[in-house]
Amino acid sequence: MKHEKEQKTSATSFSDEIRSQLGGETIALCYQCGTCASSCPVAKTTERYNPRDIIRLSLLGEKQEVLTSGAIWLCSSCYNCQERCPQKVEIADVIYALRNIAIKEGHIPNIYSEFATGLMNEGRIVPISKFVEKKRPEYGLPPLRPAGLDTLKKILAATGFDKIQWKKEGTP
Amino acid sequence: MEEVKVGVFLSDCGKQLAEILDFKALTEHVKKVSGVALVVRGNEFWRGEGLKTIVDAIKSKKINRLVVAETLPKLSEVKIVKAAEEAGLNPYLVEVIDLKDHCAWPHRDAPLEATEKAKAMLSAAIERAKLLEPLEKLEFPAVKSVLVIGGGIAGMQAAEDLADLGFEVHLVEKAPFLGGLAARAGRFFPTDDCAICIQSPASDVKAITHTSRKCVYRSGFSEIPNLNILTNSKVVKVEGVPGNYKVTVEKKPRYVDESKCVRCDLCTTVCPVEVPDEYNAKLKTRKAIYINTPPVHPPVYVIDESACKFQECAKCVEICPTKAVKLNQKTEKLTLNVGGIIVATGFKEYDPSVIKEYHYGEYPDVITNLELARMIDGFGPTNGAIIKPSDRKPAKRIVFIQCVGSRDRRWNPWCSSICCMISLKNAMLIKSAYPDTDITICYIDIRTTGREHEYYYEKAREMGIKFVKGRPTEISHDPDGNILIVDVEDAILRRFFELEADLVVLATAMVPSEDTKELAEMLGIELDQDGFFKEYNAKLRPTETKIRGIYLCGGATFPKDAPTSSLHAHSAAVKTAKFLSTGKIIKDQRTAFVNEEYCGDCEFCPVICPFNAITLVPKGEDHFVAQVSDLKCEGCGICVGTCPVNAIELRHSRPNQMEAQMNALLSVNGTSKPLILAITCSECGHTAVDSSGMAMMQYPANVRVMKVPCTGILQVHQFLQAFKAGAQGVMVVGCKTDGCHYEVGSQKAQKKVDLAKVLLKEYGIEPERLEMFHMVFIEGDKFAEAAQMMTERIEKLGPLQLM
Repeated sequence: MKHEKEQKTSATSFSDEIRSQLGGETIALCYQCGTCASSCPVAKTTERYNPRDIIRLSLLGEKQEVLTSGAIWLCSSCYNCQERCPQKVEIADVIYALRNIAIKEGHIPNIYSEFATGLMNEGRIVPISKFVEKKRPEYGLPPLRPAGLDTLKKILAATGFDKIQWKKEGTP
Repeated sequence: MEEVKVGVFLSDCGKQLAEILDFKALTEHVKKVSGVALVVRGNEFWRGEGLKTIVDAIKSKKINRLVVAETLPKLSEVKIVKAAEEAGLNPYLVEVIDLKDHCAWPHRDAPLEATEKAKAMLSAAIERAKLLEPLEKLEFPAVKSVLVIGGGIAGMQAAEDLADLGFEVHLVEKAPFLGGLAARAGRFFPTDDCAICIQSPASDVKAITHTSRKCVYRSGFSEIPNLNILTNSKVVKVEGVPGNYKVTVEKKPRYVDESKCVRCDLCTTVCPVEVPDEYNAKLKTRKAIYINTPPVHPPVYVIDESACKFQECAKCVEICPTKAVKLNQKTEKLTLNVGGIIVATGFKEYDPSVIKEYHYGEYPDVITNLELARMIDGFGPTNGAIIKPSDRKPAKRIVFIQCVGSRDRRWNPWCSSICCMISLKNAMLIKSAYPDTDITICYIDIRTTGREHEYYYEKAREMGIKFVKGRPTEISHDPDGNILIVDVEDAILRRFFELEADLVVLATAMVPSEDTKELAEMLGIELDQDGFFKEYNAKLRPTETKIRGIYLCGGATFPKDAPTSSLHAHSAAVKTAKFLSTGKIIKDQRTAFVNEEYCGDCEFCPVICPFNAITLVPKGEDHFVAQVSDLKCEGCGICVGTCPVNAIELRHSRPNQMEAQMNALLSVNGTSKPLILAITCSECGHTAVDSSGMAMMQYPANVRVMKVPCTGILQVHQFLQAFKAGAQGVMVVGCKTDGCHYEVGSQKAQKKVDLAKVLLKEYGIEPERLEMFHMVFIEGDKFAEAAQMMTERIEKLGPLQLM
């Protein structure tokens, strides 16, 4: 008589995916006490963002909702939640991990696409307008130096930043 | 020395085994082994006629060593050994092996190979039996006296039980009064009656008297004649061995003669010193001479020596009508001789001032549950009124915050388990007394798991206490109106609230009592990861420690409510009574001993022994040798595995015995597969092999099992020895690393296996030939899998090339 064990298939869930990301490792420790939410200055100004909600949805596998609702982009990175979390969930870092996943999957808010394009083409996130160039000497500021685009491009290439599909077809 | 005559008794288990194993061949094989004087085939050698055959053979002096191949040896061995002993054979000259679960069943598909393995198993048992030496049974005195450390609810209960059972009991409490945390808590859930109830002495069972069956105040607790209550006292030194400890207790002066004080209270009327009353959460002051109320024991005043002006004042001495005040009392040192020790040191409230966002210690109106309990108590500092300590106005809006410093990986990760019920109790007591009080409890999870506890939660909701599911992030203070604001998200509504409160009550974590670490070191027992006293086995031996004779009860092992503490205390009392009841401890000599010729000047074994059984004694000038206490030694052999010069051996598992056994097991192969030696510990490892056999899980017969007391006994050279003796692979099978019956044995074995792998590589032997496995009894499947896996692995590696 052979004793056979059932082979378990391991399903890769969304929480596993987050935990494998830098910063996302601690997400599963959350027990929904709400300390993060009541510590959060953003959550108190808009119903669109609540860190406890994001962690809950993530742990329940609601990947599409988390990545596409836009909430994860509202965190102001003040780290209040992370300081006070009794389970040492690195909440702000989890949000960064989620943003990284979102970007990889092409869920990028327009403003970030614009930032990225600016960075790749001009070496700056915010374009320098004629107005700014004219104003600087009036305040005694030196003229802006060139951004060192060649070096920057090398860094962006080494990190894979330039391979990211920043603009999806059909998005405005 | 007498000639060795081995009797071998082969049970075929009612012919069942004979269908697989060739018993005729086995009998022939055994007969040829030198030293065998008698071979008997039969069945049921552990009872009835079978057992009588053995007894007769011993009585007629035909044999002086006994090998029995019997089924279920774990059950039959006890009976066989007992009968052999009664027949006149030293009980340590018996070897029982299991041909069914270790051979016939797991190899039933290959009967020929199984028979060859059975031959090897029998040879190994015979060779080992030939080398066994008679061992003594030792008797040690056990003093029928017990020390109980801690006079809270658990300590009092255990002391009372043991005193009533006739033991002399010394109850040592470091505070000036008994009662512990319970006395301060005032009332207890789920009955809402007094916290300090304990059962009264059973003297009222022998002769029912005026004592109460429940109330400590009326119990006559202090009147039990063989109970010596030492308050204001601390254990400072523990020496000796189980059954016979010498304990030094430092008794601080009370400055009041317990036999003279009549509690007339005149002393406090004249005492000029006022200090904050810690016992009453500093909500009132007390005099330098004082008594706690309600009184538990002794009902006598005490002088706080850090506050008293002594001879400069001495007004209390003058006024005392019974001349009870004695300002010249000195600290006394007492030496107690006890057989057993019960640790009942309880737990304490965590100081939440480290949690800056809650501002405890900064805002006077943020208090703890224990401080609130003093307010609720009619005897307490406010006579039951619930006030704001900042302005002493009534507190009408109260917010409780649960899990303060507990379930918090920044401070104390555990759930303190009783705080939900404590908050519910306090909230309801307030609501009953002052129904217009607005009470909100902010919680993460409400945990009301005990008997009748859920009804308590139900009642609280019915009374109108509000519950917010959320852990507040901060308490702030609004000076306008002197109110506190609790900032919380209700997770159910997903809405933020700023709760206004007059009083915020923190349900703080419960943590180990002060001096827990110091006491553990003094007693030579362990603490768990959270700093509480660690029981020997949380599941089956919840009041025992690894040291026989030292027991635990109450909150010393983890925060407990009163009913659980009581139960725990009864259990510890019974364990202690069992240990000491006969006045002696019988212990066999299956222990370690030191060869003083080789031993010297290293400190490995005393440090590694989990049972503190080894001490260093001087030998000549500037030298010392190890000495083993036969009483404390549990016979695991972890010291043997550690000794760098082989100066220490186990009497029941000596190197020559192990070597002979190993050689015999590997002497016959009989299979086409490479021989593998599985060295198992006698605990989980060996029983895992049993259970794989019981379930008839199949693995190849080339795997041979050798039992040692604990895998901690193994030394690196023994793995090489096995390869030299013919093993192509070696498995070490021990308990789980955190479940070793000897605390650290299987961890140490794992380390040695890891080290040996490195060495094997140097010798040109593939390290994969050696592997350690950790399993428990019910993981027979794991053993069968491991045996199969190792066989396949070694087959792939090919024959071992020894240089």
